[in-house]
Amino acid sequence: MKNPFQDFRYVRIQNKELPLASMVQAKLEVMDHIVAGYVQLVEEEVKDLVWLVEHSRIVRAYAKATKSIQGLDYDQEDIEDFCAELDNTDKIPYIVLGPAGIFLSALINNCNEDRIKLSLHDYQRTFHFLGYRLPEGKTLTLQGDVGDLIGASLSGGRLVVEGSAGNWCGAGMLGGEITVTGSTGQKTGELMRGGKIKVSGRVWGVGNDIGGKIYEGEGLIAPLARDRQP
Amino acid sequence: MPDLDETLKEVWPKIRKKHLFPELPSPRCAEGEQNVALDIKGKKISISKSFVTEMSEFLEPREVFEGLLDHAISHYLYCPWDFSTHLSLYREAKSVLEDREFSEKVTDYFMDVVANTSCVSHKETPLPEIYRHLKGERLDEVIVALYQRIWGMDLGVEGHEEISRKLSRIPYLDRRRWKESIRRFAKVIRSLPEEEEESKNPNTQSRIDNHKLQQYSLEEIARGVRELTLKYSPDEFVEIMDDFEDELLEIMAPTEQNVGLGPGRSLNADILYYMELAENYLLPIRKTPMKKSGSLYPHRHVPWEVGEPFQDIDPWTSFGKIMPGITQTWKRIEGEVFGQEEGTPDCMVLIDSSASMANPKTKLSYAVLGAACASDAYLRNDAKVAVYNFSDASTGGRKILDYSRDRKEIYRHLCHYFGGGTQFLTEDIQSLQTDKVPDIFLITDMQITNLETLIQYLNDCKNRVTAVHIGDSTHVETFRRSMALRRNVGIYAVQNKEDIPAIVLGRIREYLSNVTS
Repeated sequence: MKNPFQDFRYVRIQNKELPLASMVQAKLEVMDHIVAGYVQLVEEEVKDLVWLVEHSRIVRAYAKATKSIQGLDYDQEDIEDFCAELDNTDKIPYIVLGPAGIFLSALINNCNEDRIKLSLHDYQRTFHFLGYRLPEGKTLTLQGDVGDLIGASLSGGRLVVEGSAGNWCGAGMLGGEITVTGSTGQKTGELMRGGKIKVSGRVWGVGNDIGGKIYEGEGLIAPLARDRQP
Repeated sequence: MPDLDETLKEVWPKIRKKHLFPELPSPRCAEGEQNVALDIKGKKISISKSFVTEMSEFLEPREVFEGLLDHAISHYLYCPWDFSTHLSLYREAKSVLEDREFSEKVTDYFMDVVANTSCVSHKETPLPEIYRHLKGERLDEVIVALYQRIWGMDLGVEGHEEISRKLSRIPYLDRRRWKESIRRFAKVIRSLPEEEEESKNPNTQSRIDNHKLQQYSLEEIARGVRELTLKYSPDEFVEIMDDFEDELLEIMAPTEQNVGLGPGRSLNADILYYMELAENYLLPIRKTPMKKSGSLYPHRHVPWEVGEPFQDIDPWTSFGKIMPGITQTWKRIEGEVFGQEEGTPDCMVLIDSSASMANPKTKLSYAVLGAACASDAYLRNDAKVAVYNFSDASTGGRKILDYSRDRKEIYRHLCHYFGGGTQFLTEDIQSLQTDKVPDIFLITDMQITNLETLIQYLNDCKNRVTAVHIGDSTHVETFRRSMALRRNVGIYAVQNKEDIPAIVLGRIREYLSNVTS
């Protein structure tokens, strides 16, 4: 009787190590590091899944986020992948939008690339705090509607929102420029110290103590105008 | 140029062995189109002679055949591997791109990348050489640039650095992440600016193959459709099937009923969904004595006389003697009794499609699924099924199908959704009663306006009733309490799909009490 496996005796099984494997592995390691940093931030800063928006908490969360990604080599695609991971809760056990936005801002600010574009249409979540402390020399373009506190404490960078922004847009910004093609909510430019906010659509409410300038369309509305009611 | 058919015959056994003998018929050479090298229909591979002739300028025909067959077999063995995977990938791509044609194109490219990369990483293959000499559109160049990066080979393409870098980060060989991977792949491809129509060269050898659905056999399609019903909700399933309706109808035109379809112009994907999903659940039916048999049975003794037949002599009363005056014989008369033969009665399905029930077109409806499983069970046992689909019956919200074995018609009536109030008419149910006392299969959430009428009707009827309620409510409690003493009524609860196999059709408590006593 002929051995039915005789034909396979001389078949060489080989697995070539393609560059793809190392590229994917490197990318996975980076993503695991980023996700671990975010999860650690949430565990330390968020008690009972409640996170209060207070200045001291924001500053502390940003500092921790920055520290967790120190020395990590990543690029814009990693930031986009992290946004996708935040949308998909299989990998990340809990999503708290405030710290998530702050962590993203830390990633954006410390990224090697100067021009970053995020397409937010692809995600179901609405992110807050994007552009927090964006430094000079960096341009962040956000395609889609965004949440609250966009461009808060902007530090000289350029933030473009191709959509509408929520409340407290540009709150506490120190310098730089925010351009919003849609509308902004209440308290726009609250406590801003410098810089410009240009809104192509409506500004539903201007904040207090405007140190910079706010434009609605072509017209300057602050620091000359008061709050407008919708 | 050596004879291509002969070359192919020589090459094929080597390729088969290399891929560990896949179950594919021998390929053949055909004239084919110049710019598509492979055509696969129902697992049969046809290789374009003109393509091989063109490529022979750069490679030996043997190498061209080997590369093309490696590609085709990788599609068969690795990606997409089956019909449901192919359509699942398409759906993920479409969720990003939203355009049907572009989604198909991107899905094809993705499957090519996965299959080719798998082949290159596991086998010795001249496939990279074919891509080195294949001239295509800009997107084809991007893909070859990607191959350069992920395979670590120079394939003669320059440029496309950024996009190939983005594409190279995707884990193509991780099957568990294909859905996520194709979404990322589609996002990157989407960012490419559209190529000008004028710049497209009509003479390019653009693709090795087109991934049409004709490459799958009918059995694979039937199996794939069934798997898709388990993965997706009704509206998602309908969306996918509608996109490929023309192709599927063309494939299934010469045959019928293989995918639960009969001849017709429309796929009716919303009905097909439940037809296929119900195949996954086989409900048992308790059979019941159906036929009365008349036969001659021994009735009384009469004296035996000489000349009468011997076979009915009763030896016991005859004291063992065959003598006139002593021997007794049985006199037989005709008697009508229920025979041992059991069968399945017809079934009357009463299904509630009021507003409190789920719309089967948008969300998985356990009511329709349960009724579908029950109908299939009766049809499999050669019984007929009638359907009474009711919502607000008094105002015309009802649909009645008389006893039928037409599976598609039955499903059409089951899947109909009124979404109105909930009231049924006993006259409608009575019109479906027959002398043969059919079984009744009732499926509802019991939030029926005239529930008392229903309870009264079921109390009075002699049919075996299988009542299935969706969810719990005070109405369900009322129904259960009212039916507690009825032995011909079996009540089941369905909260999710996993509860459906627990239903036993026609199960009556008398049977159970006889078994246990």
